[in-house]
Amino acid sequence: MEDKEILEKFSNPESQNLAFNQLVRKYQQNIYWHIRKMVIDHDDSDDLTQEVFVKVWKNLGNFRQDAQLYTWIYRIATNECLTFLSNKKKRFFLPIHDVAAELAEKIDSSPDISGDEIQLKLQKALLRLPDKQRLVFNMKYYDEMKYEEMSEILGTSVGALKTSYHLAVKKIEEFIKRD
Amino acid sequence: MNKMKEDFKLENLPKHNVYQVPEHYFDRLPMHVMERTAGAENKVPTWQRSLWAPLRIAVAPLVLLLVFVGAFYFTLQQQKQDDYFAMHPMAEHEIMDYLNYNEDLETADLAELSYLSKNEFTADFLNISPTAAEEELEYYHIRHLEE
Repeated sequence: MEDKEILEKFSNPESQNLAFNQLVRKYQQNIYWHIRKMVIDHDDSDDLTQEVFVKVWKNLGNFRQDAQLYTWIYRIATNECLTFLSNKKKRFFLPIHDVAAELAEKIDSSPDISGDEIQLKLQKALLRLPDKQRLVFNMKYYDEMKYEEMSEILGTSVGALKTSYHLAVKKIEEFIKRD
Repeated sequence: MNKMKEDFKLENLPKHNVYQVPEHYFDRLPMHVMERTAGAENKVPTWQRSLWAPLRIAVAPLVLLLVFVGAFYFTLQQQKQDDYFAMHPMAEHEIMDYLNYNEDLETADLAELSYLSKNEFTADFLNISPTAAEEELEYYHIRHLEE
Protein backbone atom coordinates (compact mmCIF):
# COMPACT_ATOMS: atom_id res chain seq x y z
CA MET A 1 0.00 0.00 0.00
CA GLU A 2 1.32 3.43 -0.95
CA ASP A 3 1.91 6.04 1.75
CA LYS A 4 -0.72 8.30 0.22
CA GLU A 5 -3.32 5.55 0.42
CA ILE A 6 -2.34 4.75 4.01
CA LEU A 7 -2.78 8.39 4.98
CA GLU A 8 -6.14 8.65 3.25
CA LYS A 9 -7.43 5.52 4.95
CA PHE A 10 -6.04 6.67 8.29
CA SER A 11 -8.05 9.90 8.05
CA ASN A 12 -11.26 7.83 7.85
CA PRO A 13 -12.20 6.55 11.35
CA GLU A 14 -13.66 3.36 9.89
CA SER A 15 -10.44 2.31 8.16
CA GLN A 16 -8.00 3.99 10.58
CA ASN A 17 -6.88 0.82 12.37
CA LEU A 18 -6.43 -1.10 9.16
CA ALA A 19 -4.35 1.72 7.65
CA PHE A 20 -2.17 1.96 10.72
CA ASN A 21 -1.61 -1.78 10.76
CA GLN A 22 -0.46 -1.54 7.14
CA LEU A 23 1.88 1.29 8.05
CA VAL A 24 3.46 -0.73 10.88
CA ARG A 25 3.91 -3.75 8.62
CA LYS A 26 5.47 -1.61 5.93
CA TYR A 27 8.02 0.18 8.10
CA GLN A 28 8.62 -2.07 11.09
CA GLN A 29 11.75 -3.75 9.74
CA ASN A 30 13.45 -0.56 8.54
CA ILE A 31 12.74 1.17 11.82
CA TYR A 32 13.71 -1.80 13.97
CA TRP A 33 17.08 -2.27 12.22
CA HIS A 34 17.76 1.45 12.27
CA ILE A 35 17.27 1.39 16.04
CA ARG A 36 18.97 -1.96 16.66
CA LYS A 37 22.23 -0.83 15.01
CA MET A 38 22.26 2.13 17.38
CA VAL A 39 21.26 0.55 20.70
CA ILE A 40 22.56 -3.00 19.99
CA ASP A 41 20.31 -4.80 22.50
CA HIS A 42 17.17 -6.50 21.10
CA ASP A 43 14.89 -5.75 24.08
CA ASP A 44 15.82 -2.06 24.02
CA SER A 45 15.28 -2.01 20.27
CA ASP A 46 11.89 -3.67 20.66
CA ASP A 47 10.79 -1.13 23.28
CA LEU A 48 11.99 1.80 21.21
CA THR A 49 10.42 0.49 18.00
CA GLN A 50 7.06 0.16 19.72
CA GLU A 51 7.48 3.61 21.22
CA VAL A 52 8.18 5.07 17.77
CA PHE A 53 4.95 3.60 16.38
CA VAL A 54 2.97 4.78 19.39
CA LYS A 55 4.23 8.31 18.66
CA VAL A 56 3.41 7.87 14.97
CA TRP A 57 -0.14 6.81 15.93
CA LYS A 58 -0.60 9.83 18.18
CA ASN A 59 0.73 12.35 15.69
CA LEU A 60 -0.22 10.93 12.31
CA GLY A 61 -3.43 12.96 12.30
CA ASN A 62 -1.32 16.14 12.38
CA PHE A 63 1.23 14.90 9.84
CA ARG A 64 1.78 17.46 7.08
CA GLN A 65 1.79 15.70 3.76
CA ASP A 66 4.37 18.01 2.24
CA ALA A 67 7.00 15.82 3.92
CA GLN A 68 7.50 12.15 3.09
CA LEU A 69 5.98 9.73 5.55
CA TYR A 70 9.00 7.46 5.85
CA THR A 71 11.44 10.35 6.48
CA TRP A 72 9.08 11.57 9.21
CA ILE A 73 8.98 8.13 10.85
CA TYR A 74 12.77 7.82 10.52
CA ARG A 75 13.14 11.17 12.23
CA ILE A 76 11.03 10.02 15.16
CA ALA A 77 13.08 6.83 15.40
CA THR A 78 16.35 8.77 15.24
CA ASN A 79 15.26 11.09 18.03
CA GLU A 80 14.18 8.12 20.16
CA CYS A 81 17.60 6.50 19.71
CA LEU A 82 19.56 9.63 20.54
CA THR A 83 17.39 10.33 23.59
CA PHE A 84 17.75 6.74 24.78
CA LEU A 85 21.55 6.78 24.46
CA SER A 86 21.78 10.20 26.08
CA ASN A 87 19.66 9.04 29.04
CA LYS A 88 21.77 5.92 29.35
CA LYS A 89 24.90 8.05 29.71
CA LYS A 90 23.23 10.37 32.21
CA ARG A 91 21.77 7.52 34.25
CA PHE A 92 25.07 5.83 34.85
CA PHE A 93 27.11 9.04 35.07
CA LEU A 94 29.52 7.48 32.65
CA PRO A 95 31.65 9.17 30.00
CA ILE A 96 30.94 8.19 26.38
CA HIS A 97 33.56 5.44 26.07
CA ASP A 98 32.06 3.52 29.00
CA VAL A 99 28.63 3.23 27.36
CA ALA A 100 30.47 2.21 24.18
CA ALA A 101 32.35 -0.41 26.21
CA GLU A 102 29.08 -1.69 27.67
CA LEU A 103 27.56 -2.00 24.18
CA ALA A 104 30.76 -3.64 22.86
CA GLU A 105 30.47 -6.18 25.67
CA LYS A 106 26.97 -6.99 24.43
CA ILE A 107 28.36 -7.63 20.95
CA ASP A 108 30.73 -10.23 22.45
CA SER A 109 28.26 -11.88 24.81
CA SER A 110 24.78 -11.63 23.29
CA PRO A 111 23.51 -14.89 21.75
CA ASP A 112 21.57 -13.02 19.09
CA ILE A 113 24.67 -11.34 17.65
CA SER A 114 26.90 -13.44 15.45
CA GLY A 115 29.34 -12.96 12.62
CA ASP A 116 32.96 -13.47 11.67
CA GLU A 117 35.70 -11.66 13.53
CA ILE A 118 36.06 -8.79 11.12
CA GLN A 119 32.31 -8.13 11.08
CA LEU A 120 32.16 -8.02 14.86
CA LYS A 121 35.23 -5.78 14.92
CA LEU A 122 33.45 -3.43 12.53
CA GLN A 123 30.52 -3.18 14.95
CA LYS A 124 32.87 -2.41 17.83
CA ALA A 125 34.68 0.20 15.72
CA LEU A 126 31.32 1.85 15.04
CA LEU A 127 30.73 2.17 18.77
CA ARG A 128 33.85 4.38 18.99
CA LEU A 129 32.12 7.00 16.86
CA PRO A 130 29.97 9.75 18.35
CA ASP A 131 26.28 8.78 18.22
CA LYS A 132 25.33 11.22 15.46
CA GLN A 133 28.25 10.17 13.27
CA ARG A 134 27.32 6.54 13.84
CA LEU A 135 23.80 7.34 12.69
CA VAL A 136 25.14 8.97 9.53
CA PHE A 137 27.36 5.96 8.85
CA ASN A 138 24.54 3.43 9.37
CA MET A 139 22.09 5.32 7.19
CA LYS A 140 24.58 5.65 4.33
CA TYR A 141 26.45 2.35 4.58
CA TYR A 142 23.70 -0.10 5.64
CA ASP A 143 20.44 1.61 4.63
CA GLU A 144 22.02 3.09 1.46
CA MET A 145 20.07 6.30 1.81
CA LYS A 146 20.65 9.32 -0.34
CA TYR A 147 22.34 12.27 1.34
CA GLU A 148 19.28 14.42 0.53
CA GLU A 149 16.99 12.04 2.43
CA MET A 150 19.44 11.87 5.32
CA SER A 151 19.55 15.64 5.34
CA GLU A 152 15.78 15.79 5.65
CA ILE A 153 15.76 13.28 8.51
CA LEU A 154 18.70 14.61 10.47
CA GLY A 155 18.24 18.29 9.69
CA THR A 156 21.89 18.61 8.62
CA SER A 157 23.30 19.91 5.35
CA VAL A 158 24.28 17.44 2.64
CA GLY A 159 27.87 18.74 2.72
CA ALA A 160 28.18 18.17 6.45
CA LEU A 161 26.75 14.66 6.08
CA LYS A 162 29.25 13.76 3.32
CA THR A 163 32.14 14.99 5.45
CA SER A 164 30.84 13.14 8.49
CA TYR A 165 30.49 9.87 6.55
CA HIS A 166 33.96 10.01 5.00
CA LEU A 167 35.54 10.81 8.35
CA ALA A 168 33.62 7.91 9.90
CA VAL A 169 34.94 5.50 7.23
CA LYS A 170 38.52 6.68 7.87
CA LYS A 171 38.17 6.29 11.63
CA ILE A 172 36.75 2.78 11.26
CA GLU A 173 39.50 1.66 8.88
CA GLU A 174 42.18 3.05 11.18
CA PHE A 175 40.60 1.39 14.22
CA ILE A 176 40.51 -2.03 12.51
CA LYS A 177 44.08 -1.69 11.20
CA ARG A 178 45.41 -0.59 14.58
CA ASP A 179 43.50 -2.97 16.84
CA MET B 1 44.52 -11.89 9.51
CA ASN B 2 47.20 -9.25 10.22
CA LYS B 3 47.78 -8.80 6.50
CA MET B 4 44.05 -8.38 6.04
CA LYS B 5 43.96 -5.79 8.81
CA GLU B 6 46.79 -3.75 7.29
CA ASP B 7 45.12 -3.66 3.89
CA PHE B 8 41.64 -3.20 5.33
CA LYS B 9 39.30 -1.15 3.19
CA LEU B 10 35.67 -0.88 4.18
CA GLU B 11 34.52 -0.96 0.58
CA ASN B 12 36.02 -4.44 0.19
CA LEU B 13 34.13 -5.84 3.15
CA PRO B 14 30.84 -7.56 2.24
CA LYS B 15 27.89 -6.04 4.09
CA HIS B 16 26.56 -8.42 6.68
CA ASN B 17 23.97 -8.01 9.40
CA VAL B 18 25.38 -9.56 12.59
CA TYR B 19 22.18 -9.01 14.59
CA GLN B 20 19.34 -11.51 14.81
CA VAL B 21 15.81 -11.26 16.14
CA PRO B 22 13.72 -13.95 17.90
CA GLU B 23 11.75 -16.23 15.60
CA HIS B 24 8.54 -14.66 14.20
CA TYR B 25 9.39 -11.37 15.86
CA PHE B 26 8.19 -9.29 12.91
CA ASP B 27 4.96 -11.32 12.72
CA ARG B 28 4.10 -10.40 16.30
CA LEU B 29 5.37 -6.82 16.43
CA PRO B 30 2.37 -5.25 14.60
CA MET B 31 0.03 -6.94 17.09
CA HIS B 32 1.97 -5.54 20.06
CA VAL B 33 1.95 -2.09 18.50
CA MET B 34 -1.78 -2.28 17.79
CA GLU B 35 -2.44 -3.28 21.42
CA ARG B 36 -0.65 -0.14 22.57
CA THR B 37 -2.32 2.16 20.05
CA ALA B 38 -5.72 1.33 18.55
CA GLY B 39 -6.44 -1.34 21.17
CA ALA B 40 -5.46 0.86 24.12
CA GLU B 41 -7.55 3.75 22.83
CA ASN B 42 -10.69 1.60 22.82
CA LYS B 43 -10.15 0.83 26.49
CA VAL B 44 -10.18 4.51 27.52
CA PRO B 45 -13.54 5.37 29.16
CA THR B 46 -15.72 7.71 27.14
CA TRP B 47 -15.78 10.43 29.81
CA GLN B 48 -11.98 10.55 29.79
CA ARG B 49 -11.81 10.78 26.02
CA SER B 50 -14.32 13.60 26.00
CA LEU B 51 -12.15 15.63 28.38
CA TRP B 52 -9.97 18.05 26.56
CA ALA B 53 -6.38 16.74 26.77
CA PRO B 54 -4.77 19.98 28.10
CA LEU B 55 -7.56 20.15 30.68
CA ARG B 56 -6.72 16.64 31.85
CA ILE B 57 -3.07 17.65 32.14
CA ALA B 58 -4.02 20.79 34.07
CA VAL B 59 -6.44 19.01 36.40
CA ALA B 60 -4.02 16.26 37.43
CA PRO B 61 -1.56 18.51 39.35
CA LEU B 62 -4.50 20.47 40.79
CA VAL B 63 -6.00 17.31 42.25
CA LEU B 64 -2.61 16.35 43.59
CA LEU B 65 -2.21 19.80 45.15
CA LEU B 66 -5.63 19.57 46.81
CA VAL B 67 -4.75 16.19 48.28
CA PHE B 68 -1.51 17.59 49.68
CA VAL B 69 -3.20 20.68 51.09
CA GLY B 70 -5.92 18.52 52.64
CA ALA B 71 -3.38 16.19 54.20
CA PHE B 72 -1.34 19.15 55.46
CA TYR B 73 -4.41 20.86 56.97
CA PHE B 74 -5.54 17.66 58.67
CA THR B 75 -2.07 17.07 60.11
CA LEU B 76 -1.95 20.68 61.31
CA GLN B 77 -5.33 20.37 63.07
CA GLN B 78 -4.30 17.12 64.66
CA GLN B 79 -1.05 18.71 65.79
CA LYS B 80 -2.95 21.65 67.35
CA GLN B 81 -5.18 19.32 69.29
CA ASP B 82 -2.22 17.33 70.51
CA ASP B 83 -0.45 20.55 71.46
CA TYR B 84 -3.52 21.72 73.43
CA PHE B 85 -3.51 18.62 75.56
CA ALA B 86 0.24 18.62 75.81
CA MET B 87 0.28 22.27 76.92
CA HIS B 88 -2.51 21.87 79.50
CA PRO B 89 -1.44 19.15 81.83
CA MET B 90 -4.18 18.58 84.38
CA ALA B 91 -3.32 18.32 87.99
CA GLU B 92 -4.65 15.28 89.83
CA HIS B 93 -6.86 17.39 92.11
CA GLU B 94 -8.45 19.01 89.05
CA ILE B 95 -9.38 15.60 87.70
CA MET B 96 -10.78 14.63 91.09
CA ASP B 97 -12.83 17.85 91.21
CA TYR B 98 -14.17 17.15 87.76
CA LEU B 99 -15.17 13.63 88.72
CA ASN B 100 -16.72 14.84 91.94
CA TYR B 101 -18.70 17.43 90.03
CA ASN B 102 -20.08 14.73 87.75
CA GLU B 103 -20.69 12.47 90.70
CA ASP B 104 -22.74 15.28 92.31
CA LEU B 105 -24.78 15.50 89.19
CA GLU B 106 -25.47 11.81 89.22
CA THR B 107 -26.32 11.91 92.93
CA ALA B 108 -28.72 14.78 92.30
CA ASP B 109 -30.32 12.85 89.48
CA LEU B 110 -30.75 9.83 91.72
CA ALA B 111 -32.12 12.03 94.48
CA GLU B 112 -34.61 13.52 92.07
CA LEU B 113 -35.70 10.07 90.96
CA SER B 114 -36.23 8.87 94.56
CA TYR B 115 -38.19 12.05 95.30
CA LEU B 116 -40.52 11.26 92.41
CA SER B 117 -40.99 7.69 93.56
CA LYS B 118 -41.89 8.83 97.07
CA ASN B 119 -44.49 11.30 95.94
CA GLU B 120 -47.46 9.96 94.09
CA PHE B 121 -47.21 11.65 90.74
CA THR B 122 -50.76 10.65 89.71
CA ALA B 123 -52.12 11.82 93.04
CA ASP B 124 -50.52 15.25 92.50
CA PHE B 125 -52.09 15.44 89.10
CA LEU B 126 -55.60 14.50 90.41
CA ASN B 127 -55.15 16.80 93.39
CA ILE B 128 -56.66 14.24 95.83
CA SER B 129 -55.12 12.12 98.58
CA PRO B 130 -54.10 8.52 97.84
CA THR B 131 -56.78 7.22 100.29
CA ALA B 132 -59.54 9.19 98.57
CA ALA B 133 -58.40 7.89 95.19
CA GLU B 134 -58.48 4.33 96.44
CA GLU B 135 -61.95 4.75 97.87
CA GLU B 136 -63.09 6.27 94.61
CA LEU B 137 -61.71 3.34 92.63
CA GLU B 138 -63.29 0.85 95.00
CA TYR B 139 -66.63 2.56 94.63
CA TYR B 140 -66.51 2.54 90.82
CA HIS B 141 -65.35 -1.03 90.78
CA ILE B 142 -68.32 -2.13 92.93
CA ARG B 143 -70.80 -0.13 90.83
CA HIS B 144 -69.42 -1.67 87.68
CA LEU B 145 -69.91 -5.15 89.10
CA GLU B 146 -73.45 -4.30 90.17
CA GLU B 147 -74.33 -3.17 86.62
